[in-house]
Amino acid sequence: MFVLRPAELADLPQIESIAARSAIGITSLPPDRDRLADKIANSRYSFASEVDMPGEEAYFFVLENASSGELVGTSGIAAAAGFHDRFYSYRNEIIVHASQELKVSNKIHALHLCHDLTGFSLLTSFYIDPAYVDSDLPDLLSRARLLYVGEQRQRFADKLAAENPGVCDAEGRSPFWDAVGRRFFNMDYPQAEQLSGGRSKTFIAELMPQYPIYVPLLPAAAKLAIGQLHPDGELPFSILMDEGFEADTYVDIFDGGPTVEARVETLRSIRLQRRMTVSTNMPDLAETIECEEALVSIVANTKSQGFRSTIAPVVVGGGAGAGNSGDKVSISRKVARLLNVDDGDAVRVVPLDAGNHRLKGASW
Amino acid sequence: MVIVRPIRANDLAPLLALVRDTGVGLTTLPNNEALLRGRIEASLATFAGTADKADEQWIFVMEDITQARIVGICAIAGAVGLREPWYSYRVGTVVHASRELGIFTRTPTLFLSNDHTGASELCSLFLAPDYRVGRNGALLSKSRLMFMAQFRERFAAKVIAELRGVSDTSGRSPFWESLGRHFFSMDFAEADYLTGIGKKSFVAELMPKHPLYSSFLSKEAQAVIGETHEMTRPARRLLEQEGFRFEGHVDIFDAGPTLESDLVDIDVVRKSTTHTVAGIRDNSAEASADSASAAPLMLISNAHLAGFRVGLGCCKIANDKVVISADIAKAIGVEVGDAVRVVALSPSERA
Repeated sequence: MFVLRPAELADLPQIESIAARSAIGITSLPPDRDRLADKIANSRYSFASEVDMPGEEAYFFVLENASSGELVGTSGIAAAAGFHDRFYSYRNEIIVHASQELKVSNKIHALHLCHDLTGFSLLTSFYIDPAYVDSDLPDLLSRARLLYVGEQRQRFADKLAAENPGVCDAEGRSPFWDAVGRRFFNMDYPQAEQLSGGRSKTFIAELMPQYPIYVPLLPAAAKLAIGQLHPDGELPFSILMDEGFEADTYVDIFDGGPTVEARVETLRSIRLQRRMTVSTNMPDLAETIECEEALVSIVANTKSQGFRSTIAPVVVGGGAGAGNSGDKVSISRKVARLLNVDDGDAVRVVPLDAGNHRLKGASW
Repeated sequence: MVIVRPIRANDLAPLLALVRDTGVGLTTLPNNEALLRGRIEASLATFAGTADKADEQWIFVMEDITQARIVGICAIAGAVGLREPWYSYRVGTVVHASRELGIFTRTPTLFLSNDHTGASELCSLFLAPDYRVGRNGALLSKSRLMFMAQFRERFAAKVIAELRGVSDTSGRSPFWESLGRHFFSMDFAEADYLTGIGKKSFVAELMPKHPLYSSFLSKEAQAVIGETHEMTRPARRLLEQEGFRFEGHVDIFDAGPTLESDLVDIDVVRKSTTHTVAGIRDNSAEASADSASAAPLMLISNAHLAGFRVGLGCCKIANDKVVISADIAKAIGVEVGDAVRVVALSPSERA
């Protein structure tokens, strides 16, 4: 079984090897031991803090194979994008240039540098071991964060955003960067990022063109790159799309990749999740056999530092045949141990297949 | 002999014949009878003192008085941009710099401006091809400066002149192709015509309002910003000799330069002097005097408003008195005792 939990300092060697493997573009996972150690330390501090409103906290999760101790993925949440500073994006805008006199009306696509997403909570650091791409684990990795957000609303903004990698070639050359950023930097983006010493992107953003960019003036390859996703980003992107994130408005100022955003309460895993009381009366066997009433779900405890989440079959309503007590949920002892909960504790549950959540007759 | 004088109502027909020679790019003089008639009426009202400041148009024609033929036209708009917005791009510089990253980029950037609102504009210069010889072009262009020197209180403190930008023989402007075309699917020639018939502000409203980094334009377009069309270079030189300077404003369609000067700094305005005509010599006497002393050719104008005349001739100045030859006196309609304004045609020959 796999469990998602906050990263610990002891995870550093494994996280370091994940960072080395992750593609260019996951800038929140730098291949640098000291910075990763800082990231873990900051995350531990964040999970432990009493928080009334989102600030500079950054929560960093790892996905662990509970039997082997191997880490197979990471994900994270920054409580407030651009905290203490600004979070830059380009906003897609349509400017209508019209003249009644000349009987013309032209829609001009322009990119406006903006700080709109400043203060949004930011989903970050998504990485899954390629061996598990076709499993349910990417869902756990991405959506368990929303169970944490659901339980810890005061720690997060009312709106979430997530950056997604834009298109680039095998050498990491981005047509959008070449047409926009390069004119002001005269260097490759990875180089610019490296030079900036891993500081916040704001440092680079301040050197970018501040005036709107008229898209018709860009070369064709750069136009096409606006809002276009790098193939490596398809998996996490599709999970966010299924959740109800919007991808049309904002793009990354460096590579043109789509930055998605949504109000927290509109997200499917937020709307469908329920906080229920655990009863550990489901036989462990049910995990492996077909159980008519069981619904495969993402389940998480309600702790912060001790946050745990996993995928497991649950029966809503207190056990087979009960069906009348909506705030009870049955899980197996094994799952309870993994989540570090016992009878009477609270958990948050959301069906894994949110689209088919009614199939098994559960009262979602 | 040619002189320059205010336009008259009966100049319309000969003027129409003249403008058929005009190519693309002389935006203020389109081949459009109704429009020209309107402009002549505006000019008559301006000279009569009945036009609103915003509508003032001082239009002059060059006439070959020997042949009674209209051979050129030029004009001054009293104050631009008071009816409809007057647009130009100001070419500014935006620097993106980071000492830490070793970055210093300087990007010429086009800012849409109405900076010249209210300025007086030299415009509509056109000379018949067979008269583009000798000093005719210089006389036509500078006649307006003589008029402004004489009636400076009627003009704005700032005087501008828009010069035609670079386009090829088929009227294709690289700047328009790289910028305007994206915002307005028409050829430069058509936009240029719309401008000429007074719809420039409509066209301008379809153009980008935000500053434009010139580095986003094609290399060809970047290269012509502030550059003058080959045919217009002599006109540019004439104005620059009179103190006009390119101060970074360019046309929003073809990026041709706007030259500008404060009225009081225009060389003709600073150095022309007024004198009373003390005597009129016969022409043969002048001719012999010319060859003897190589006296400089002078712009000589009378002091009338509606009856303004300016031509070229030689003169002898002593204190506030001047002696001029009989044919220029006749051409500009002055007699002994009348006031004239004089200045050497060539700036290098001015005191």
